[in-house]
Amino acid sequence: MDSLEKELLNMVIEVCKITDPVPADFSPDQTLIGPESPLGIDSLDAVEIVFTVQKRYDVRIDSEETSRQVLASLKTLADFVRSHM
Amino acid sequence: MEIPFTHRQSAHCETGTTSNLLNHYGVPVSEAMVFGIGAGLFFGYLPFIKLNNLPLTTFRSATGAIFKRTTRELAIKVETQRFRDPEKAMVALDSKLDQGIPVGIQTGAYWLPYFPPAFRFHFNMHNSIVIAKRDDEYLISDPVFPEPVLCSAHHLKLARFAKGTLAPKGKMYVFREVPQHVDLMQPIKKGIKVLTNAMLKNPVPLLGVRGIRYLAGQLEKWPRKFGKDQALLYLGQVVRMQEEIGTGGAGFRFIFAAFLQEAASTLEDNRFQAYSERMTQIGDHWREFAVVAARNCKGRAGENDSYAVMARILIECADQEELLYQDLANSI
Repeated sequence: MDSLEKELLNMVIEVCKITDPVPADFSPDQTLIGPESPLGIDSLDAVEIVFTVQKRYDVRIDSEETSRQVLASLKTLADFVRSHM
Repeated sequence: MEIPFTHRQSAHCETGTTSNLLNHYGVPVSEAMVFGIGAGLFFGYLPFIKLNNLPLTTFRSATGAIFKRTTRELAIKVETQRFRDPEKAMVALDSKLDQGIPVGIQTGAYWLPYFPPAFRFHFNMHNSIVIAKRDDEYLISDPVFPEPVLCSAHHLKLARFAKGTLAPKGKMYVFREVPQHVDLMQPIKKGIKVLTNAMLKNPVPLLGVRGIRYLAGQLEKWPRKFGKDQALLYLGQVVRMQEEIGTGGAGFRFIFAAFLQEAASTLEDNRFQAYSERMTQIGDHWREFAVVAARNCKGRAGENDSYAVMARILIECADQEELLYQDLANSI
């Protein structure tokens, strides 16, 4: 996991108030949102993530399909932030 | 026969399908332009219509209306067919493909196997374009996917004849006649006029800007009226319809902002650039509402995340939208 991915993971844990420990085998390629999310994040959490990313990184995720792709995994989120910063 | 068709991914199926079909026939319009000409933006809070036993809130015009308005305003002649017999529907589809004609179809998204399980839901108004048949599979330009997708004839037939609300009944549509030259100026103005009338002059108080204010007033009362748990269910419904996977209502505001930006260029009127920026800020404000609502639903609301705060944000959104629509109405 690179430094931005770690930073975003910490942000996700903070804003979604995730109290369970991150699984030891968690990988940034894994599904971020939905029933298969190892962090247990749902679409309501996604709202908070989109909002916080915009506030902290000044990057707007502004269409439904873009957000599905961007929030597919921690890696895709990091790639999106990196390419728009 | 494989039709040379340029697939472009888009935010929403109806606007994406319309834009992709228009581009195929040499009318270069973006998804945002279709959304604007089709007067796609809207607001309605309809407590008497229940979805999963909870009131319906809509942030866009009725499904199908954008395609209808856009093609009408651009003088496109559309041939639409519905069927009782699934076999005849598939034969008719094959016949159009054999003639090299891309075919728009309405389907039930739940039955399309290329949708990931998490996104497979019972929505019978999903639009896409069939562009080829390969043995027993169809190649589909589904605008919400990054690339064209394959679907078996069996699954496509199931999707075209999905049962339930707004059943597609095999609906398929093709462009029969497309003008050689399309001038966007009047359709843009007409789209803005339809939108501003719908949002400002709607006689039904549940619709348009008044509807946003009505929802604000109701929402503030929900905890007292229904109790905390039911209020959260109502709130969850609003925010899911607005911001499912992070967009929705605000997302539609952002698409409309992109339309206004393009309109500034087509109309050669810089005021529309400023309107676009204002609409983006309004979308951001809707998103603030969604975040506070989501915090409540997830049980992590802070001191500043009350129902009164949410109602205030909604009133501010209504006020800002009202001013913008008035300015837009006065500028066309």
